[in-house]
Amino acid sequence: MRALADDHSDLDHHSDLLVGPDQAPLLARPYYASGDPGPIVAALAQVPELLETAMPFLGAALGPSGIDWRTKEIVIVRTSALAGCRYCVQAHTVVALDAGLSLDEVRALRTDIAVADAFTDPRELALLDWVDVVAGSGPVTDDARAAVRRRWAGHEVVELTALVGATLLLNRFATALALPTGPDTTARLATEGLS
Amino acid sequence: MTASTVDGPIAGAVAEGTLPGRVWMYANYHCNIACVYCLTESGPRVAPRVLDAQAMLDVARQAAELGFTDLGVTGGEIFLRPEMPDLLAEISRHLPVIALTNATLFQRRLLDRIDVLAGLPVALQISLDRPDADANDAMRAPDNFAKVVAAIPELVARGISVRIATTVESIDDVELDRLCALHRGLGVPDEDHVIRPIVARGRAIDHGLGVGAVVTDLPAELTITADGAFWSPFGPTVHGGLLDTDLLITRTTAPLSVPAKALLRLVEGQPRGADSALNIR
Repeated sequence: MRALADDHSDLDHHSDLLVGPDQAPLLARPYYASGDPGPIVAALAQVPELLETAMPFLGAALGPSGIDWRTKEIVIVRTSALAGCRYCVQAHTVVALDAGLSLDEVRALRTDIAVADAFTDPRELALLDWVDVVAGSGPVTDDARAAVRRRWAGHEVVELTALVGATLLLNRFATALALPTGPDTTARLATEGLS
Repeated sequence: MTASTVDGPIAGAVAEGTLPGRVWMYANYHCNIACVYCLTESGPRVAPRVLDAQAMLDVARQAAELGFTDLGVTGGEIFLRPEMPDLLAEISRHLPVIALTNATLFQRRLLDRIDVLAGLPVALQISLDRPDADANDAMRAPDNFAKVVAAIPELVARGISVRIATTVESIDDVELDRLCALHRGLGVPDEDHVIRPIVARGRAIDHGLGVGAVVTDLPAELTITADGAFWSPFGPTVHGGLLDTDLLITRTTAPLSVPAKALLRLVEGQPRGADSALNIR
């Protein structure tokens, strides 16, 4: 199985994990139709029936929904930073900036600066407290659940909690497989003064 | 159990011709010879990647239950597995079987054990490419021709159904006439002789042989291997020691309904008759 693309020179040593376009299985081909599908799809393509089940779920969890884009990226970047996922933090730093978060807000989500130095909205602060609890390894207390419920509707808490879980799944997946950051993302991070 | 007594989407698709009726199994990938056009780079020193006997029995039983009508068993050289005669007899209790072999291992001991197939719905499809030993063996292996023409009458005499498969880039009418005269003389009638092109996959690529084949060129015959389920027996090929996945359907092979239904979804997404262009069978 060949590496995905020539411009991903660091893919060579992943070539047994990532499926290139010339070897894309039949059920995976729609994901390659527009070019490089990215390393998450290229890895899941090894198991096509898993790919075609996982992607709609991941799309529903991480993609556009009833909760606004900015809020979802707050959750994704923060969760990924707490999980120590280099690939997800880098990829979603770019997405978060595109979603309108400021550089300081992104730095705070990435734990580079204090949250209180970048966020002031009580609703977002309550959400960040909740994400820190859910993505952490400690217990989830009734007090923590009550605190987020005071600022967010029940269905929003459910969706955002599912988003933390889906992000953690991807965090461990990307970290375990050492998925490579794409060259476009690396270049954008350099431009923004982030790594 | 026959397709006419089975309900369900697979049985319906097979009955109306949307889905081919045969399910293939790659019993193993190792082989005692190394043909220059081999799809799977099979040879004596490759990983066997055996589809174990219970898995093959399960495929056979579930294929019948789903409404498929036939089974194919290929490799590698399947008779490198000592249990193969008994295993073929067992799976033929579920559906008729075509088993592909190079017929170079049919010495006395194997011939005695293969008697169990006499009278059963099992046909051995034996490769014979040319009517002359030199031309035949150049593509296959030394002494291949002599072993094949010795084995076929022995098998026919035992009441075992034999088919001949000729795999060539091209063959002129004179040579084909001589080849057909040869197989008739060995006891194999014309209706049991198939001619098919070399497909440019596996080792054929390295020798510049074969026709390029994409998914729409190949019949959608569900093919089960130790590595997953594929679109066609021309799917689970090996090149450079690596399994090709471009015709992979699912890694899941059991229950058989998982890849069968995925294959049906794929088939229903393409125009009927799109597989007929290259006569790859």
